[in-house]
Amino acid sequence: MASIREQFEIPAKMKTWAYGLIGAGVLAFILGLFTKEHNEFIGTIMYNSLYWMLICNASMFFICATTLAMGGWQVAFRRVPEAISKMVLIFGPIAFLVLIYIVFVDHNHHIYHWLSDEAKEDPILKGKLGFLNPVFFLVWTVLAIGLWALLGARMRKLSAEADDAALRGEEPGKSFIWRNTVTASLFIVWFALTVGSTVPWLWMMSIDAHWYSTMYSWYTFASSFVSGMSLIALFVIYLKNKGYLEYTNQEHLHDIGKFMFAFSIFWTYLWFSQYMLIWYANIPEETVYFKHRVQGPYKGIFFLNLIINFVCPILILMTRSAKRNYTLITFMAVMIIFGHWIDFYQMIMGSIRKDDAALSWFDFGIAAFFIGMIILFTGKALASRPLVPKYHPFLKESIIHHT
Amino acid sequence: MHLKYESQLREPLVYGDKTYHQVTEDIVRPIEAKPTKLWYVGFFIAVALLMFGVYSVYREVTYGIGQWNLNKTIGWGWDITNFVWWVGIGHAGTLISAILLLFRQGWRTGVNRAAEAMTIFAVMCAGQFPIFHMGRVWMAFFVLPYPNTRGPLWTNFNSPLLWDVFAISTYFTVSLLFWYSGLLPDFATIRDRAKTKLRKYLYGVAAFGWTGSTKHWQRHESLSLVLAGLSTPLVLSVHTIVSFDFATSVIPGWHTTIFPPYFVAGAVFSGFAMVQSLMLILRKVFGMEDYITLGHIEAMNKVIVLTGSIVGCAYLTELFMGWYSQNKYEGYTFWYSRANLFSPYGWSYWGMMACNVISPQIFWFRKMRRNLFVTFFMSVIVNIGMWFERFVIIVTSLYRDYLPSSWSVYYSPTPWEMGFYLGTFGLFFTCFFLFAKYFPVIAVAEIKYVLKTSGESFKDGMDNIEEKGSEEFAHEYAH
Repeated sequence: MASIREQFEIPAKMKTWAYGLIGAGVLAFILGLFTKEHNEFIGTIMYNSLYWMLICNASMFFICATTLAMGGWQVAFRRVPEAISKMVLIFGPIAFLVLIYIVFVDHNHHIYHWLSDEAKEDPILKGKLGFLNPVFFLVWTVLAIGLWALLGARMRKLSAEADDAALRGEEPGKSFIWRNTVTASLFIVWFALTVGSTVPWLWMMSIDAHWYSTMYSWYTFASSFVSGMSLIALFVIYLKNKGYLEYTNQEHLHDIGKFMFAFSIFWTYLWFSQYMLIWYANIPEETVYFKHRVQGPYKGIFFLNLIINFVCPILILMTRSAKRNYTLITFMAVMIIFGHWIDFYQMIMGSIRKDDAALSWFDFGIAAFFIGMIILFTGKALASRPLVPKYHPFLKESIIHHT
Repeated sequence: MHLKYESQLREPLVYGDKTYHQVTEDIVRPIEAKPTKLWYVGFFIAVALLMFGVYSVYREVTYGIGQWNLNKTIGWGWDITNFVWWVGIGHAGTLISAILLLFRQGWRTGVNRAAEAMTIFAVMCAGQFPIFHMGRVWMAFFVLPYPNTRGPLWTNFNSPLLWDVFAISTYFTVSLLFWYSGLLPDFATIRDRAKTKLRKYLYGVAAFGWTGSTKHWQRHESLSLVLAGLSTPLVLSVHTIVSFDFATSVIPGWHTTIFPPYFVAGAVFSGFAMVQSLMLILRKVFGMEDYITLGHIEAMNKVIVLTGSIVGCAYLTELFMGWYSQNKYEGYTFWYSRANLFSPYGWSYWGMMACNVISPQIFWFRKMRRNLFVTFFMSVIVNIGMWFERFVIIVTSLYRDYLPSSWSVYYSPTPWEMGFYLGTFGLFFTCFFLFAKYFPVIAVAEIKYVLKTSGESFKDGMDNIEEKGSEEFAHEYAH
C-alpha cells in the first residue's frame, strides 16, 4: 500500500514563471505610468484587480455552495479551491487600494461621474447620491472585501481539522459538517448581498452613472464564477500532471468540466436576457449602454466575447469525452478565463473609454502581474498544508466518485 | 471495483429492513386494493369543483369576456395571474427529474414520480387560461403558424405570447415523455402481479411490452439521460419566456432585465411548495413514511429557502432600482403602487413579501425544516405568496399606467373569474386522485436503485468500510 504524496513542493520552474510574470507586470505598470493616458491607465488596473479578485473569491463560493449542498465529490481536490481563495487576502487589499485611490485620491469623476460637482446639479444623479457617495463607497467596500476574507479564512481554518485523526467517527464528523455548514451559510448570504447585488452596482455599474440594469450583478457573478471554476480546473490539472492529487481522477475532472460547461451556458442565458430585453424595448436610456458596444469601436470585442464564452464552450465542452480530456479542459479553461477577462474589459473599459477600444500590451502586462501573483501565492498556499483532507467525513465518497 | 457505499453521516433514503420485494409490496399494494372512502370523498369534491369550473367557462364562452371584471386598463387580471401561477408550479417536477438527476441527488427518487405527475397536471391547468382568455376559443388554432387561407393573418413571431405557445407545448411534451418512460418498468411490475385479466391487459398495454431484459434497461437508461438533457434547458426556458411576456414591454414594473432568472427561481420555489403539500398528504394517507422520509422533506425545504431567498434578492434589487434609476414611472410603480402599504394594492405587495421572503427564512433552522406541521403550513403560505407575486406584477403595474385619464378603478374578480380558477383546482385534483389510485406514486424501480447504497439496513453493513483509513480504502476500492 503506497502512501500518497500529500505535501506539495513548489517546483523551481513554477517560481520562475511566477516571478517572470510579476516582473513583466511591474514593468508594464512603470511603462504605462509614463506612456498611457491617465484614465486608461487607472481603468486597466481597476478592471484587472476586480476581475482577478472576484474569480479567486469564486473558489470560496464553490466551497461554500458544495458544503451547503452536502456535496461529497469535491473533497478529493477541495484544498485547491481553498488555496486559490486565499488570494482574496492579497487581491482584496489591492482592489481596495485601487478603488480608494480612484475615489479619494484621484477624485476621478471621469470614471465615477457621480464624484463630480455637476452630479449635484444633474436631475438624475443628484437623486442617486444617497447610494453613490464616497462615504458609503468606502464603508461598503471595506465590509465586502473584509467579510469575504474573514469568512473565507474561517472556512479554511475549519478545513484544517480534517488533517487530524480526531475527526474520525460519527459524532466528531457530524459536528464538523455542522460547523462548516454554519460558516458556509454566512459566507453565501454575504456573497448574495455583495456579489449577487450591491457590489457590482457600486464598483462597476456606477461608471455609467445614469444607466441601470437589474440583471447587472447576477451577470457579473456568472462571469466571475465560470472563470473561477476554470481556474480551479487549471490547478487541479497542474497538480495531477505533477503526480499529486492521487484521489482525483477523470471523474472529478468531468464534473468540473460540467460546471464550466453549465455556467458558460448560464452566463449566456443572462447575457441574452439582459441584451434582448434592452434591445426589444429600445428605450434610449437603456440602449445607450450597448450602442457603442455593438456598433462602435467595441464591436469586435463584443462579438469576440460571445464567441469565446458561448460558442466555444457549447461546441467543445458538450461531449463527455471532452470533459474528461486533460488537454482539452486545460485549453478551454485558459480560453474561458481569457474570455471573461475580455468581458470585464468591455464592461469597465467600454464605459470609461467609449470611443476607443485598444486592447494593448498594457492590458496583457497588468494581467500578467495578477496571473503571476496567483501562481506564486496559490502555490505557496498549496504547499503550506496537505493536499488531501485525509479525515474529511466525505473523502471516501469522493474517492469512489464516478459520473 | 464498484462499491455501494455512502458516508454514514448521511441519513438513509429508505428506512426499515427492506428487500426488493418489500419495496414493491409497499408501493404497489394501494393500487391493488379497493379505493378507500376517503379517496371517494376527495375525488367527488375534486370533480364537483371541476364541474363548477366548466360552468364558469361555459358562461365566459357563451357571453364573452365581459363575464370577467377586466377593464380597458387592467386587461390581464386573475386569468393571467392564474396562468403564470400554474405554469410556475409545473416546474418542480422536471427540475427534480432532470436537474437533480444531473446533480446526482439520491433523494429525488422518493419524490420524483409524484412531482412529475403534478407538473403535467399543473401545466394542463395553466394552458386553460390563455386559451379561454382568447374569448373566441374556437379560434384558438390561430396560434399555430401554418400556411393558411387567412391572407396576411399570420402569427406574430415577434410576440413572446407566441413563444409561450412553443415553449409550453414543448415542455409539456417532454415532461410527459419523461414521466411516462419512467413509469414503464413499474407498469410491468403491476402487470406481472395482476390477479384479474382486465388489470393484466390494461397495465400490459401501458407497459409497452416491457420485459426487464438488459436491452430494455440499456435503452431506458440512455433515453432517460437524453430526456434529462433536453429537459434541463426547458425548465429554464419556459418561465424565462413567461417572464418575457412582461419584460419585453415598456410597462414600469414589467420591463426589468432580472425578470427571466428571477421568474425561474420563483417557479421552482412555488413548485417545490406544491410538491411539499402533496407529499405530506400522500405519505400520511399511503403510509409511505419509510420512503418519503424527514430527510426528503428537509431537502425540499432547503430548496424552498434557497429559491425563496433568490426571489427575495430579486425583489429587493427591483425595489432598489426603482429608486436608483430615478425613473419617475419605475419609482411610482415600485414605491407607490407596490411598497406603500396604504396605496390601493399595497396590501398585496406586503402579503407577497411576508409569504415569499420573510416567512420561509424560518427554514434556516433544522428543527423547522423537519417539522411536518410547519412544513405543511409554509408550503401553503408559499403558494399563496407566489399567487400574490403574479397578481402584484400584473395588476399593480397595469392599474395606473402612463396616462392618468385611463387609471383604473379598483379591480375585483367576478364569481365566474374565481370559478374558473377553482375549476382548475378541480381539474388538478381529479387528475391527481386518479394518478394516486392507479399509478405507483413512488418510482419503484428507482427506489430499488438507491436501496443498497442508501437503505437503512444496508448502511448498517458499511461500518467496517467506515472504519478503514482513507489510504487503505483507496487502495482497495478506487479505480
